[in-house]
Amino acid sequence: MIYSLLVLSSPASGHGARHAVQFARSALQRGHTIDRVFFLDDGTFAGSAAAVFPQDEASPLQCWVELSERHALELILCVSSALKRGLLDAGEAQRHERCGPTIHPAFVISGLGQLVDAMTHCDRLVTFGG
Amino acid sequence: MSVILHTLNASPASGAFDDCLRAITADDALLLLGDGVYAAMAHSRAWERLRACGAPLYVLRADASAAGVLPLLEEIEVVDMDGFVALTERYPRQLAWY
Amino acid sequence: MPAAEPPTRHLVVVRRAPYGASLARTAIETALAVAAFEQPVDILFMGDGVLQLLGQQDSQASGSRNMGRLLASLPLYDIEAVYVDGQAAAAYGVDLANSPVAATALTPAQVRELMDRCDKLLGF
Repeated sequence: MIYSLLVLSSPASGHGARHAVQFARSALQRGHTIDRVFFLDDGTFAGSAAAVFPQDEASPLQCWVELSERHALELILCVSSALKRGLLDAGEAQRHERCGPTIHPAFVISGLGQLVDAMTHCDRLVTFGG
Repeated sequence: MSVILHTLNASPASGAFDDCLRAITADDALLLLGDGVYAAMAHSRAWERLRACGAPLYVLRADASAAGVLPLLEEIEVVDMDGFVALTERYPRQLAWY
Repeated sequence: MPAAEPPTRHLVVVRRAPYGASLARTAIETALAVAAFEQPVDILFMGDGVLQLLGQQDSQASGSRNMGRLLASLPLYDIEAVYVDGQAAAAYGVDLANSPVAATALTPAQVRELMDRCDKLLGF
């Protein structure tokens, strides 16, 4: 089946961000396709290239990057959520005159239309919050 | 398309817990995860309310274990992440409460 | 000619008070985006979400963007319908006659019927 995931919570707090990455890994192992992971609201913190996690805590960023490399997942950060939280790609950093990109290049900044498109094409939408 | 997999990631004192119980029917399923696992503590008031909804109940093993709730469970199916994915295969729609 | 597939129906369920969490605005903006792409979408306010329907919200002094004004714009974007958990609205004493957007109060059974008319459920 084709899955789309919607991630609404930050890796720094709560459970939702961790559930999302673990769910993605299990779904792929079960032979499903994940066409797109859409990060919205505090979920966009997942794309921060600057976040430093303690060594005894799993780094969600590295998990997403590995999954996207191995399975060609699209990792999309909602543009309006991301900009407010200081999460910029090179283009946005230049446009808004900030010192440089702050997101990992495995993530793409785009609009909510990408979520709408994913929802209308997937067999399953799974939301992770809290 | 009427059945729903409800995922509850909020403690029993939350409005999310109450609203989830309001929407659920006996044909649905409920997966407790994150802070939702506390609702599965046997003999608690929350657990009595959950059981009354009639839907099959599941709890995520890793979160129940981290919370110290695993030894306090009675009559609830414990699933791992693979089991969560399997539930989404069976139930075409998911609704997240948190 | 092959029969057109019925469009995916979306339901945005909002449980956040308007100014306490960014999820409140994010939920409404998500519904607006669905509508902007000409997909059917309904909104259901539950729990603290019913507080978004208080009339006379004036956020000027707080420096926040006015959620009431955002809700008032929903009909312009062809949002199919706005619903509210009638019990939650009554519990808070929210007067729906003054709501920034016309919202239909539902009984718990009607809440469930609404959910069952929709293919994709988004909980905020």
